[in-house]
Amino acid sequence: MAELLASGGSMEMVRAAFDNGADAVYVGATGWSRRRAQFEMDDAAIIEAQRYARSVGRILRVAFNTLPASSEVPLFMARTDALYAAGVRDFILTDPGLMMALKNRLPDTILHASVGCTIINIQDALFYKEAGASQVVAECRMGKATMRRIKAEAGVGLEVLVHATTCYTLLGRCTMSSYTKYGHRLDASGKDHFPGSPNRGGLCYRICLTDWDQVGAAGEIEASGVQLPNRAYFLADDIPYLIDHGVDTIKIQGREYSVPLVGRMVLFYRELIDACVRDRAGFRMDPWRERMARIVADRDAERREKTAGLISESLG
Amino acid sequence: MCLGSPYCRRVDGNYAEALDLLPGAVSLLHAAGKRAYLTTPAVPREADLPHVSRLVDAAAAAGADALEIHNMGVLRIVREKGRPVPAHMGAYANVYTHLAAGVMRDAGAVRVRPNAEVSLDEMAILAREGGVEVEVLVHGKIPLGITDRCFLLTESEETDPKCPSACKAVHWLTSREWVLKTVGKGVLSGRDMCLLEHLPRLVADGFRVFRVEGLYETAAYRSEIGAVYREALARAFAGGSFALEDRWGDAARRHAPRGLCNGYAFGTAGRAYIGTVLQDANPEV
Repeated sequence: MAELLASGGSMEMVRAAFDNGADAVYVGATGWSRRRAQFEMDDAAIIEAQRYARSVGRILRVAFNTLPASSEVPLFMARTDALYAAGVRDFILTDPGLMMALKNRLPDTILHASVGCTIINIQDALFYKEAGASQVVAECRMGKATMRRIKAEAGVGLEVLVHATTCYTLLGRCTMSSYTKYGHRLDASGKDHFPGSPNRGGLCYRICLTDWDQVGAAGEIEASGVQLPNRAYFLADDIPYLIDHGVDTIKIQGREYSVPLVGRMVLFYRELIDACVRDRAGFRMDPWRERMARIVADRDAERREKTAGLISESLG
Repeated sequence: MCLGSPYCRRVDGNYAEALDLLPGAVSLLHAAGKRAYLTTPAVPREADLPHVSRLVDAAAAAGADALEIHNMGVLRIVREKGRPVPAHMGAYANVYTHLAAGVMRDAGAVRVRPNAEVSLDEMAILAREGGVEVEVLVHGKIPLGITDRCFLLTESEETDPKCPSACKAVHWLTSREWVLKTVGKGVLSGRDMCLLEHLPRLVADGFRVFRVEGLYETAAYRSEIGAVYREALARAFAGGSFALEDRWGDAARRHAPRGLCNGYAFGTAGRAYIGTVLQDANPEV
């Protein structure tokens, strides 16, 4: 049965996600995941989360899915070694070099290729499998035929985001934020958080979501107030299909949201998946839509507030 | 010269699509004493892979000197074919570390262009430890993002009459103090990357491959900016004092209506300009 993977931006959120039915929770190691430090966890918190996951018979995955500087590779090795010694075995990575190095160093680790790898075809999936990943995250707009082919032919697990917002660009292939504002902030370990670069440090100023004027060569306004489309998408309707086709992990994003909202989202998907598995033939989506709409409305409200703050921050 | 567009298969005159034009173009470049590289689609969906396979075969048959590759799946296809053409990893391949460069080297890459965010200091480590040649963007629009849905169309590519001509015209995106350039499926910097006054440092650091990006630029841009860098690099490699010619700066500014920047070369935001020579001459930059 497909695993439900939820986000853990704090110990409180980790507990809420597990308590509401997540099979696995991912957390970001401070300075090493695609969110700012406020939504990441230090080693002590990760180890506490790992103990909690083990106590309830679930899995904790630790994201090291930024693209660091070459000089930071020793920091990566030291940090993953420390977490490994504390019992952590599941990691999420983006850089294929780090992936291969970690797998060679600690062969019994379980590595998942992050959404930042932008895996869009079966050859991509095979590349990251060869680099050491046992599971890959499908790019957000991947079609069902490609998912089927990866499942049938690649011999690698497949993870699908069902509750997220797509970037205007392909996620992991964008530096618009850091073009406008980019800096360096070293933490006590010496890790640079690269504020402004989601690829490197996890803080995106979301400048794509501001209003733009489209201007022609001679300076004429071709269109005013246009936005680079970022579409929230919720694939709840696809969950029966994903389950039928053996997708290994159904993922919901949300480290930036409030703990009560994340708890509600996890519970919703837990109950939906269980209802679908319990009675596949009789499962109907309609009754779930109203509850889904309320969750989406609350999520959108929290996201709007954060986006406005980030754009404002980019100008400071 | 790098032929083709990595952004969109429907771009007019895309050598990565019109494979029958490839042998002639490669021959022409070779006859002129130039090397001929061919780019590949940066975001090939499953349905594009058969074309990618044909493209690799066509590049090898035409005698292309290298394939520019942005997608790991494409790199794997080249490897599986026995590496008939050397691979150069492109701007969207997300090469940030020497370890990643090493993985790509083992799969057939002989050259990498690090991601735009990688600074010159980081590139030096990458070149030293990664075992591959490093290509440095010295001039032109910086690639900032790629998508597979065209921003300039209102309908699908197949039905919108604006395709494939919409991206031939220049379109800027402006907001607050920011300017970007949209080419439909790609977002580029509004300002032109310019490392003219920093060439001696690049040479001293050991870099030997320099790129002037001419995609979506005029023929005049390519020839005039290319000529400036040919002359400026010769002077930088000659050693001794290095002073910018006024006409170099004039050409750079004339072809950069939205100003100049240094990208992320010095660890700053991509749109920043670090330096004195060109900036002093043009306070609007």
